[in-house]
Amino acid sequence: MVAGDVAYVEQVQLRDFRCFASLDLSLAPGVTVIVGANGAGKTSLLEAVGWIARARSFRGVTDSALVARGSEQAILRADVVHGERRQLLEAEIRATGRNRVLLNRHPIVRTRDLYGLLRVTMFAPDDLQLVKGGPAERREYLDDLLGMLAPRYDAARSDFDRVLRQRNALLKGGLRDPDDDSTLVVFDEQLVRAGAEIVRGRLRLLARLHPLIVEMYEEVSGSSAPLDGTYQAEWAEAPLHEGDADAVDNLLRQALVARRKQELDRGITLVGPHRDDWRIVLNDLDARAQASQGEQRTLALALRLAGHELITDLSGAAPVLLLDDVFSELDAPRASALIRRLPGGQTLVTTASAIPEGVEPQRFLRVAGGTVEAE
Amino acid sequence: MALYEGPVQNLIDELGRLPGVGPKSAQRIAFYLLKAAPEDAKRLAQSIVDAKDRVSWCRRCFNIAEGELCAFCKDERRDATLLCIVEEPRDIVAIERTAEFRGRYHVLQGAISPIEGVGPDQLRVKELLHRISGEGVEEIILATNPNIEGEATAMYLARLLKPAGIRVTRIASGLPVGGDLEYADEVTLGRAFEGRREVDA
Ligand SMILES: [Zn+2]
Repeated sequence: MVAGDVAYVEQVQLRDFRCFASLDLSLAPGVTVIVGANGAGKTSLLEAVGWIARARSFRGVTDSALVARGSEQAILRADVVHGERRQLLEAEIRATGRNRVLLNRHPIVRTRDLYGLLRVTMFAPDDLQLVKGGPAERREYLDDLLGMLAPRYDAARSDFDRVLRQRNALLKGGLRDPDDDSTLVVFDEQLVRAGAEIVRGRLRLLARLHPLIVEMYEEVSGSSAPLDGTYQAEWAEAPLHEGDADAVDNLLRQALVARRKQELDRGITLVGPHRDDWRIVLNDLDARAQASQGEQRTLALALRLAGHELITDLSGAAPVLLLDDVFSELDAPRASALIRRLPGGQTLVTTASAIPEGVEPQRFLRVAGGTVEAE
Repeated sequence: MALYEGPVQNLIDELGRLPGVGPKSAQRIAFYLLKAAPEDAKRLAQSIVDAKDRVSWCRRCFNIAEGELCAFCKDERRDATLLCIVEEPRDIVAIERTAEFRGRYHVLQGAISPIEGVGPDQLRVKELLHRISGEGVEEIILATNPNIEGEATAMYLARLLKPAGIRVTRIASGLPVGGDLEYADEVTLGRAFEGRREVDA
């Protein structure tokens, strides 16, 4: 891969961002290892870089958590370099109220206007939840990948969430007059539109992702494993596959009719992608409940690596890779497999202790007491 | 919790009730007004009173109007066979800036939103039906916002009006998804009018 294809973050300025009152940091392409004690702010640095890509924290916290205590706002400024192009992102992240975000000095209205500026893959110790956790974790994994591939999936997601809230409010009210019936019909149609787009996206994504997951699993575990996945939707009679993508609209419509009474009784929406699961099957056993801890860890790593590989293939550039303290959780064979697959893009690795063997960092940064020193 | 003396706290409370004004901004505006020259503050108060006294809803289209009818309903040169449906009076301003549309308007004064308890009954839909039968309307252009609530409202109206054999179109292309008409620039909105399409119902 040529260097011009890689987008990377060059300058980061933080003001009142978590424990950093004032930080000016230069980053470079290649591998940077960030060393520091637990709680020193290593993850917060990664969080700042992740924010550039998605305008939200990957830690699943609201923006107010990013603002240093006693301040009204955090400021994040970053230069993103992609080939010849240099873009400036400036964000005022507010403890209360709306953030102000500027891209190249122009205010942006919606998060998805940041699309394509920077893509980020994150590995974190709790990635194990991708396998062990509930269906929501796996849906989010798929939807985040879709969002990186095309902004319309993020649009479909936020549309769907909004339709769901409106429709649930209507169902909860219990359709008291005939107008409510005709209003429900309208929200049904919107649920089908946004919902079908999400399901179609997930099915097509899974078809491309599956061989990569198998490949990565074999690479990490050193042995082959019969790995399968089924996309299960309560509203469809059988698991769905890529070939069903064009039928999804109709399946959703039929299910809405069939389950209308049940939805009215319970006052919530039962039909739609918000309740689906992607069930991973390893050696004919449900990976979530029946695989060993070691297999689950390998699988979680394979999911992240496969996602990273897919985004690299389809977007033509490796996303920035953020590895948050992942080596402490991996045994030597898995760690070295991860290192072998480290792609050529910008990589930031945090560690509390030793540099993992085989990682060849171009730079070291030491984080302590709200400052960062290059070593 | 009242932190200030009577009149100051009253002012902060009143300002805090305005849309988009949080407690902090209410406080900031209140102290700005207290520091301002007396005539400036009085002019603001007077303009609020004047607007409330003199401006009301047009009794035909529910746009803002001085008197019984708004400027568009009074203007005989506007094409009465074309009726453009919007959510709020400010949407009319956005559409007028494009200079593409020469018909008349109907303001729903909102959009369907079960979360906020707004259904068709809370909107000016009955009044719309009266107008269609009484004014020789031939085409309805649905220009509600391109977000979930606006789309739902457009779809609801299309389903209601199409059986009556009336041409129903929806402004479409070019509008940012999830956005508000108010924020669309003139060129985009102008194109959206030219490219309006029939709505599925
Ligand atoms: Zn009028």
